[in-house]
Amino acid sequence: MTDKQHAHHLYDKEGKVQKDRPWIFRTYAGHTNVWASNELYRSNLSKGQTGLSIAMDLPTQCGYSSDHDIARPEIGKVGVPINSLDDMAVLFDQIPIEQMNTSMTINGTSMWLLALYVALAEERGVAVSELKGTTQNDLIKEYLARGTYIFPPEDSIRLIVDMYEYCLHNIPSWNASNICSYHLQEAGATPVQELAFALTTAITILDAIKERNCFNEEEFERCVGRISYFVNAGMRFVEELSKMRAFCEMWDEICQERYGVKNPKYRRFRYGVQVNSLGLTEEQPENNAWRILIETLGVTLSRKARCRALQLPAWNEALSLPRPWDQQWSLRLQQIMAYETDLLEYPDLFEGSVVIESKVAELKQQAYEEINKILDMGGGIEAVKTGYMKSSLVSSQGDRMAKLVNGEQVVVGKNRWTDGLESPLVSSADGGVFKVDAEAAARTIEALNQTRSQRDPARVEVALKRLQDEAKQGINLMEASIECAKARVTTGEWSDTLREAFGEFRPPTGVEGQALNIESETLETVRSKVKDFTETFGYRPRMVVGKPGLDGHSNGAEMIAVAARHAGFDVIYFGIRLSAVDIVQSALEENVDVIGVSLLSGSHNEITDQLFAELDKHGAKTAIPVVLGGIIPSSDFQALSAKGVKRIFTPKDYDLMVVMNDIIDLIIENKKQQI
Amino acid sequence: MPLSKQVSLLKQLDELHAHMAAPCNEELKTLLLQAKALEKWPIAQLISIFERNTTENLIKRHQIIKELESNPDTYNKQAKVLGFTGTPGAGKSSLIGVTCLELLKQNPDLSIAVIAIDPSSQSSGGALLGDRTRTQFPVNDARIFFRSQASHLDLGGMGKTTFNAVRALRRLFDLIIIETVGIGQSEIEVQRLADHTLLVMQPLAGDQVQFMKAGIMEVPDSFIINKCDEDELAKKSHHLLKASLKLAQVLPKEGEQEAEIFMTSATRHKGIEELAGKLLREVRAGESKDLMEQENYFLNKWVQEAYGEFGIGLLEHFKGESSLEHGTFEEKELAYKSLIAKFLSRLN
Repeated sequence: MTDKQHAHHLYDKEGKVQKDRPWIFRTYAGHTNVWASNELYRSNLSKGQTGLSIAMDLPTQCGYSSDHDIARPEIGKVGVPINSLDDMAVLFDQIPIEQMNTSMTINGTSMWLLALYVALAEERGVAVSELKGTTQNDLIKEYLARGTYIFPPEDSIRLIVDMYEYCLHNIPSWNASNICSYHLQEAGATPVQELAFALTTAITILDAIKERNCFNEEEFERCVGRISYFVNAGMRFVEELSKMRAFCEMWDEICQERYGVKNPKYRRFRYGVQVNSLGLTEEQPENNAWRILIETLGVTLSRKARCRALQLPAWNEALSLPRPWDQQWSLRLQQIMAYETDLLEYPDLFEGSVVIESKVAELKQQAYEEINKILDMGGGIEAVKTGYMKSSLVSSQGDRMAKLVNGEQVVVGKNRWTDGLESPLVSSADGGVFKVDAEAAARTIEALNQTRSQRDPARVEVALKRLQDEAKQGINLMEASIECAKARVTTGEWSDTLREAFGEFRPPTGVEGQALNIESETLETVRSKVKDFTETFGYRPRMVVGKPGLDGHSNGAEMIAVAARHAGFDVIYFGIRLSAVDIVQSALEENVDVIGVSLLSGSHNEITDQLFAELDKHGAKTAIPVVLGGIIPSSDFQALSAKGVKRIFTPKDYDLMVVMNDIIDLIIENKKQQI
Repeated sequence: MPLSKQVSLLKQLDELHAHMAAPCNEELKTLLLQAKALEKWPIAQLISIFERNTTENLIKRHQIIKELESNPDTYNKQAKVLGFTGTPGAGKSSLIGVTCLELLKQNPDLSIAVIAIDPSSQSSGGALLGDRTRTQFPVNDARIFFRSQASHLDLGGMGKTTFNAVRALRRLFDLIIIETVGIGQSEIEVQRLADHTLLVMQPLAGDQVQFMKAGIMEVPDSFIINKCDEDELAKKSHHLLKASLKLAQVLPKEGEQEAEIFMTSATRHKGIEELAGKLLREVRAGESKDLMEQENYFLNKWVQEAYGEFGIGLLEHFKGESSLEHGTFEEKELAYKSLIAKFLSRLN
């Protein structure tokens, strides 16, 4: 700084006052099918959005083609279905991919999606080295929080390392993976857990890359420089701001101390953000608009730790999937923040703040302690297999729920100031919620069949054989996958081949041995009803908690399982990705008194039909009551009741003991009817 | 207790006896036939009758056992009972999962029932039963049935409910596998119930050997060192276990075979074929436990739980009473209750 310069200005190299460029504005988008999503992207780009953030549907994420049984209820629900290179071509039709920064929320099948993107570039004649973007590809957080893993941990890490190796040599501006703490916070993580688990994940990947020994020193430094993060920001925005500063400092220290990275450029903590959805409420949903704004502050205010890219949830996410208008509203928030305010004119606002520095130091110290604990226990993969990280998250989530119930954590409209006028926003013709057109799925399957009938079967066979062989021989699988893409192999075929080579994996659920810190009058009421029940019928009430379909957001199911045990039930819970048949069979074998099912992906109507059909087959449809929980729009309640669902719980029902009270009443009522 | 109450209790017990004398009703008979055909829900309901602690279910249990005994041609199975025990974390559930699949591969006609026990919470009494997470059985396959049980604060880790469930399943399946909680006294309990007990250990753990040295548990029939993902580790653990057994002087009694040691990895599917082969040989050849002795053990255990040391003392006092030596378990339960009531009324 020269004498004439001021501490509150930003200057360029020539000493001229300048303003920062804004972060990349993203909107997480994709739905229905490739045609509808392509139209949406082109319209978002024309509205001033500067990057693409692609949402894939659950079958694509979990490695199933759209015509697989488990895929059908989910086609196009939470994102766009991609079955082959032909779908990819439609998705990016008239979009110049060489100019795009494309972020794909894809994990279990990220290598496949990157291979499709590369193949698309090659077929279009675009130089692969020009591609820019990110594949999320963080499998550790999938095992912990999001659930779209496919293969065992070691094999998943191998695929990630394959991609880092390929990208560094061929697509230098591609982020092969994006370490996510976002989903950990959604699953209940505290800021310290977020810091510790995300940095442990990065260490796990870098250690694996080092072990492969595929880079020279300079290449390894560049590879470290490609590690990017995807972070969450909640309502406690001062703490979140401090967390971001802690992240930056810790990453710099880890890169330097553990990996000896010399160039500071490669030690920079580069991150994108989606702000918190967990804290958004179903009650008085219009308040969420303010929450999203405040959450944005934590990741933008502090220049030293400002995000590179930002995507915001929509105000109505606790009600259903957002509509295009809802997303536009969130995009406008970013534009107002970046262009109407003076935020980008200043250097770091918190430099030298005693308060912030002290807070950052505390977070860092606690996070380092946790990281060292995990490394001592054998590292990230081991902590997935033993369930250590998962049970820590379930435990934090349990604490959060307990604080909501006892009022220690105030949420306006939920546990304080709950009376309010009805929002006109939810009374529009569509009920303020987004519905996927059922016909659209047919078009996706039709296109899949067309691809299958037009491709060269011999080329497909050779490509899959090569994939299988190289999987077993430990060869980098990127080239084989790109050839599969060009041969018009389908998403299901690519995944099945590797499933056969690697096997499938089910991580620990983390619920066993969890205690819940809820003491309330309602708990006493429920326990005394359970006691009466046990004395009358000679056993404890039994409940199956099921998580059907491909949706892996399991914390609702986990909380109900833990709460039911806390109430004195015997609870059968066995993880995610179950079919309706799995759930019904367990309910029958265990002879339960109630089936509880958790659904967040919007496929509740289809899955409820499957459940009741299966129960009916065994003559148990009226004998075992079924209750639902999750993101279920109230406009669907009546139809679900008509099908036979006895109770429906939504995020509004956050007091777990009130839910359990309702369930024990239902069980007793049902028992009386049977006598 | 006042005399009038004693008398009414005795009267109640007599009435119960009268109820029990009635044969199975048609509904129960149908349920049994459906269970025999390995239909899932009927089997589950049958187990529930054997688990639930009410007078109504006690009567049904007695009637069902009578029905099974008097129709040996229909209910012609005589299941072998295998007990899998070992500390939590040894990977019992996953191992049972893959072993069952291998058993069915080697013998497609086999029928297997698995009972997996998980601990109940001390504070709420409830339990999280999560063993299903670690098994991947085919759905709607009648040959394999899975049931979770809570330990219900039973110190043995395996109580009357497990013993009773086995009684219900014995004549329906070829093989019953019990997975214990793996803490407390469950190792001893399961040995009473199982025809063959397998102790599942982690490589190089050695704790179980310490238990044996301390004389806490009897010698299991077989050892399994699970999670042997690498051959090197497997070999080391095998030698270590052998050496420890020798040190602890856990030698076979005369005429007995030395306990076999299996090295397995459920995730890498190692050693599973050998283990399944051994278990199939047990199913075919091995001898079953003396059921009478087993019943007496669990009767003692029940008396201990319900009446404590005083009850056990009286059991000694009642020795020779024919009503305690004949009939179904339920009849003995009632007989003991009557004897105690009479004893107390004489005291008054």
